Amino acid sequence: MISRVAEGCFWLARYLERVDSLARLMDVRHALHIDAGLSSAWRWRPLVALTGQEDDFRRRVGAELLDDGEAIQQYLTWDADHPSSLFSAARGARENARTVREIMSLEAWEAINDLWLWLQGSDSRRLYQRNRSGFYERMVQSTLLFHGVSHATMLHDEPFVFMELGRAVERAGVTASIVDVHRPADGEEPAGDVDAARWVALLRSCCAFDPFFRRCPDPLSGKAVTRFLLFDRSFPRSVLYNLDQARALLFAVRRNDPVGLPRRSRTALERLRGELLQMDLADVEQRGLHSTLSWIVGATERLCDTIHYDYLDPPNAWLRHCVGVLESLSAPLRDTRAA
Amino acid sequence: MAVRSGVGSAAPGAAPWRDAPLETTDPFAAYQPPPDTYDEAFDRDGRPHPALSGVIDPLRRIDRTHYRRLQKLAGDAFLRGGVTFSVYAKGEGDLDRIFPFDLIPRVVARREWDRVEAGLVQRIAALNAFLEDVYGEQRILEEGVVPREMVESSRSWRPQMRGIRPPGGVYVHIAGTDLVRDGDGRFLVLEDNIRTPSGVSYVLENRMVMRRVLPDIGAGRVAPIEDYPARLREAMASVAPAGARDPSAVVLTPGPFNSAYFEHSFLARRMGCELVRGSDLFVERDRVYARTTQGPSRVDVIYRRIDDDFLDPETFRPESLLGVPGLIRAYAAGNVALVNAVGNGVADDKGIYPFVPDMIRFYLSEEPLLGQVPTWVCQREPDRRYVLDHLDELVIKAVGEAGGYGMLVGPRASRKQIAAFRERVAADPRNYIAQPLVQLSTCPTWTREGIAPRRVDLRPYVITGDRSWVLPGGLTRVALVKGSYVVNSSQGGGSKDTWVLEEER
Repeated sequence: MISRVAEGCFWLARYLERVDSLARLMDVRHALHIDAGLSSAWRWRPLVALTGQEDDFRRRVGAELLDDGEAIQQYLTWDADHPSSLFSAARGARENARTVREIMSLEAWEAINDLWLWLQGSDSRRLYQRNRSGFYERMVQSTLLFHGVSHATMLHDEPFVFMELGRAVERAGVTASIVDVHRPADGEEPAGDVDAARWVALLRSCCAFDPFFRRCPDPLSGKAVTRFLLFDRSFPRSVLYNLDQARALLFAVRRNDPVGLPRRSRTALERLRGELLQMDLADVEQRGLHSTLSWIVGATERLCDTIHYDYLDPPNAWLRHCVGVLESLSAPLRDTRAA
Repeated sequence: MAVRSGVGSAAPGAAPWRDAPLETTDPFAAYQPPPDTYDEAFDRDGRPHPALSGVIDPLRRIDRTHYRRLQKLAGDAFLRGGVTFSVYAKGEGDLDRIFPFDLIPRVVARREWDRVEAGLVQRIAALNAFLEDVYGEQRILEEGVVPREMVESSRSWRPQMRGIRPPGGVYVHIAGTDLVRDGDGRFLVLEDNIRTPSGVSYVLENRMVMRRVLPDIGAGRVAPIEDYPARLREAMASVAPAGARDPSAVVLTPGPFNSAYFEHSFLARRMGCELVRGSDLFVERDRVYARTTQGPSRVDVIYRRIDDDFLDPETFRPESLLGVPGLIRAYAAGNVALVNAVGNGVADDKGIYPFVPDMIRFYLSEEPLLGQVPTWVCQREPDRRYVLDHLDELVIKAVGEAGGYGMLVGPRASRKQIAAFRERVAADPRNYIAQPLVQLSTCPTWTREGIAPRRVDLRPYVITGDRSWVLPGGLTRVALVKGSYVVNSSQGGGSKDTWVLEEER
């Protein structure tokens, strides 16, 4: 398929994954107010940092509001200039969808377009004011609807594979980031109930509450939760699960390769996944939780870069070189056509 | 003109609006087309044209509230489906707008349509022969049937294309000829569009929405149009360069900011081919390749929705970022087919239009089957004198403009506007033609004041590969503003579903 279109599919899924994870995080934070008497500084500020926009927030909204839950929710939900706000991420998903509309099913397109039309209208603002939790849930459900509808109505061919790949790679990085946000500060000795609230919040932010207890019925501990979210092979939001997925998808994209196209992404993925497979929690602790998580986040970002290089935006010089190789092969050109 | 309150011929229980209270008055009761105007639905005595009674009668039963509900359903379907164009709104970024849609269909009886169809096929054959000739031997210029200076002074004349014969000699793969009906109901050609005519996606989407919203009216008798993408795909395959088995075809778009982007995407989707931008393609060894996830991939046929000027910075505008450097080289080498061909604009130039009937006689030895509007060519001295003396009676059109811009409707213009056009015509006569004001036919249309006559035109689409095929019907554009003659969407126009209605069996 056309590289740019694959890029659109990849990013469409990444943006939607951002909507999904941020809406869920905010919903859990919003509810935390009831669960534990934590200061709003603890509840909200890390989310601004998570979206990488703390400086922007200080500059445009005001440093004094960094502990203000309402201001932060407003910013992370509606700010059109914040690239990862729910509003902007939904817009990004929809804009990408518009540029790849020709490979989508009507139903999949409508799932995204409806979300966008709703966000632009007044109904969404009203729901946001009256029932905050209901608003976040609706955002999450819209993304789940898209995944279900696209799976059920689209051809499971290359465009779909690139959507799934975008989602898997984004999710691996996001899960690591979310764990990082919930990690106790260095040297922090948390009180028991605060600690429990923290891990519950983490589980719920990853949609992992029930799956986790099916796997680990023992008393709740940070170690067990971390292990589950990093290494569980069958939980669909764990880091390793998503790298397994990414591997299967990446191998499905390019089965035969007569001209020796670049394969940096496979190498990058195999390296990251290989290392994680060798690790256990003791290694993580030895390395330090934060630095392990940062390494995972950085490695998924680099993986995305290599996917861009190999598939989504290959260098023209390389493609021109491939034409030469193709023409020198005796195999007819027709066989190398993309479907 | 009063219309007798009709008793519906449709079975009462079958209509989706059966629960709506019957209006005590017929919504067509006050319907009154302007004088000297042909109405698409009613004759001069206020009776529906014979072919239409089965369509008009059920419409009489829809009351205003119910109509609004249906209209909202239709609007939502367009908006949700993304059948929109972007308009830039100050402070709000781009907004999606739908093309206004009127639910009352415009109906053409099959018998009338057959004549239109034959006329269109004939006209496109002549235009195609003209292009092959002017970019080849130039017989028609040698013999003085069309003045050479009119061709060579055309803004769309592309001398670079001389001697490059496109595959199969086909230049006009897709035509969207604008037709109007005069006071006597005769179809006349108003304008030829053989560069990159747009609008066909609305024809297909209008029909989809119509079937959803008013499923029972006309059912079973309306000529289907769903074949269009398949026919286009077939025509594209038929002009693929020799040796391309299973040719690869793409649609080339300027990108999502183009107002017709929806259509580009729609056609690619329905033809099952890739939608590409200039930056997705490159030329190597005079062949066109697409940048794909599997490496370079040959492209054989390009349905380009980019104007000639922007196609290839090596040949035309060097600053164009929309095109593909080297594309014309590949085209000249016969390694890629472009749909439509490059340089077609010289044949749909409004200054060439008056010569089309002579082209038909010259190339086909036939008399034109479709009439056209008498036209004065300001380039010619006697014509110019007449036009300048009668500006207040005529419609003046700039030959290089479209979309209803650069136009003076004399009978409806102010003195100041007329004076301004007098200067422009005198300064640049080649750029202007003049025509009498055609009383475009009217069609019943829902308005705030109820059903009222509004003026319409018709753009049928003709596809030509190894033969020509005419989409039954086409795009009916309607001037929604009372009294207006301008149907363009940029100036208050909307559209209607167009039905070619088979005879009742």
